[in-house]
Amino acid sequence: MAVITGSLSQRLVNWARVKSPWVTLFNSGGCNACDIEVIACLMPRFDVERFGILVKGSPRHADIMIVTGHVTLKQASRLRRVWEQIPEPKYVIALGACGASGGVFHGLYHSVNSVDSVIPVDAFVVGCPPRPDEIINAVVTCLNLLKEDIAHGGKEWRQTKGIKNSKNTTEIREVIQ
Amino acid sequence: MIDPITLDFVREKIQDIGTAEQVRSNRIRITTTPGRIRDVIRSVQELLSCDRLLTISAADNGKTLELIYHLTGSHRMVVSIALELPRDAPQVPTTSDILPPAGIYERQIHDLFGILFQGRSDLKKIILNEDWPENEYPLRKDWAPDPGTFYGGIKGERV
Repeated sequence: MAVITGSLSQRLVNWARVKSPWVTLFNSGGCNACDIEVIACLMPRFDVERFGILVKGSPRHADIMIVTGHVTLKQASRLRRVWEQIPEPKYVIALGACGASGGVFHGLYHSVNSVDSVIPVDAFVVGCPPRPDEIINAVVTCLNLLKEDIAHGGKEWRQTKGIKNSKNTTEIREVIQ
Repeated sequence: MIDPITLDFVREKIQDIGTAEQVRSNRIRITTTPGRIRDVIRSVQELLSCDRLLTISAADNGKTLELIYHLTGSHRMVVSIALELPRDAPQVPTTSDILPPAGIYERQIHDLFGILFQGRSDLKKIILNEDWPENEYPLRKDWAPDPGTFYGGIKGERV
């Protein structure tokens, strides 16, 4: 549901954001399996570039950050710093069982156990590792969220509805509908 | 390539500074004491031509802390030098001056097990995060995280 209000330049920016989300990848201490699945998204079988999804090296160029791995104590402050460098509007996807709850690393001495205890997360993807189509689905979920945020003029509407960090995408959809 | 060394050859060379036994076809274990570790490392380097350090492994068996130095050379036999340390105040002389690759393993073992390598002045954190509290050694069997202690990461309010 594209929004046709606002100035011409604003509409152009909104169109470009929805058309081509740029993604940055951050490994916060995972085993690399999720990163390999993200690479599989880029390969010819799934080829997310045909949807305009580009993986960028710098967080300053990104709209969506994909975080893989449970967050180690060493990486927690780095993850926060990288997240702070992404310009608004920004969206975070936590990949895999580790990103949601620590996975096999839960409760270890060097782990903070979940991504959403360090930065707010918009979409969690289940699996160990998740399949590439599920990762693409998470990016599309973030794009739908982006459209809703544009229509509401910001992210605040989600907090007033009582959802700060939605644990799953169906919850977000229920609020939207 | 040199021929593989045999157990009798090892026993003849190290004599009374440790006891040798064959634990696998390609592995000879020498058991020694913390005070003699430097002598054993020197004789293994010079007499058994073990010029490479594979790793130093450490373990907590509940009663003592075990430290095993794995060395090898062009003969492809692994010589493991094992010693045991008391759990209270575990100390062992450093070998990083005669065996330079040992330095980084010693720092890691000091981080995780709290074994003090005498003669090292730079045993600063390498594996654990910089703001990890002092005197907390997470790989010891009796260690458990204290809920009141801050172990690093993000402090204060969480988003």
